[in-house]
Amino acid sequence: MQAILSLLLFAVLVLGLQLPAPSSSAAGEAETVPEFTLIVPDNEGYRAYLGLKGEPGETFSLKDIDADVLLIELFSMYCPFCQEEAANVNSLYEAMLGISTPGFSVKIIGLGANNSAFEIDHFRTTYDIKFPLFPDQDLSIFNLLGGKGTPGFIGCRRNADSTYSVVLRQSGGFFQVEEFLNELLQKSGYNQKM
Amino acid sequence: MKSYAVFVSLIFIIFSAPSTGVGAVKPFTEFIYNPGILKAIDSVLKVKAGQEAPDFTLQAVTGKAITLSQFRDKHNVVLSFVPAAWTPVCSDQWPGYNIAEEFFDTHDAVLLGITVDNIPTLHAWTMQMGKLWFEVLSDFWPHGAVADSYGVLRSDGTAERVLVFIDKKGIISAILVSDINVRPPLESVVAELVKLDSRD
Repeated sequence: MQAILSLLLFAVLVLGLQLPAPSSSAAGEAETVPEFTLIVPDNEGYRAYLGLKGEPGETFSLKDIDADVLLIELFSMYCPFCQEEAANVNSLYEAMLGISTPGFSVKIIGLGANNSAFEIDHFRTTYDIKFPLFPDQDLSIFNLLGGKGTPGFIGCRRNADSTYSVVLRQSGGFFQVEEFLNELLQKSGYNQKM
Repeated sequence: MKSYAVFVSLIFIIFSAPSTGVGAVKPFTEFIYNPGILKAIDSVLKVKAGQEAPDFTLQAVTGKAITLSQFRDKHNVVLSFVPAAWTPVCSDQWPGYNIAEEFFDTHDAVLLGITVDNIPTLHAWTMQMGKLWFEVLSDFWPHGAVADSYGVLRSDGTAERVLVFIDKKGIISAILVSDINVRPPLESVVAELVKLDSRD
């Protein structure tokens, strides 16, 4: 009896540790990310990172981004939670670089909700953010994407027709880079893990 | 029986323990009150650029008594009136100014945040913003007296969203009165700070 109980307990422990923590997003959504345009950045590094072919000042849409998985961060320079989360998001960016290969890439962009270009640039320099940030001063993109406060994260998977589908929505920060990235990959349909 | 009891207890502990994974996100504060869209401006300025800034003494959250004229001949001063505590923090100026200290330092400007809330309220509210580098002053009693002296007290007893730039002689260099629903962009603050340099 004792042996059976011990075995059962062991099985429960193993299962309990394996069960994924509930996510704030609904699983199985096939919501296409709405169309919106951004300005091709002056920074050559950003253009190369996103795989953009357009010239600085021209517009581009998500379809033009070369990424299999794309994470959109909704942030604000004025948001103390975004300030607190900045280092963590930087680590996430580095982790994405580490896991990306020429044949598979995970990328991130930031949209500054109700922020001007000057303000996002100040946020970028203050926290040494290496990935591209774009201003969304009139909140048009934030509202289009269904933003609910900042920081917020929208994880997207690229479809065959170059549109992106939403696979993950997160309001507020995330605790652990590895787990968040793994969840993003899993919900995008990729088995790769950090 | 004992083994069974231990087993059941452990099962209970495992499944009742809070998750520490991705699902347990940091709580996004529910304490902010959204007043909706307000009348853009609901006051009439009593001062203008070129005039001496009305002096005042107010209590700071840190416990100090701050008098505007104490900075005369020493520093430029920027007064940042914001409407009220516990209205959307993430859309308010101060957490942004909290990472913009370099601009104020560069132009030798002291920033003073002012609302009509009392000290305990301001303490609780500003704690959310992290450690602020500037003083936050309470214009609670007589209610809004300082805001009123500048002509930025609204009819509901809150203050306008106003920035007052004051040079080292105590003269108002500029007043930026914003639509209360709209935060003035940081670049407009920096532009006025730059202008203070030429008034030394």
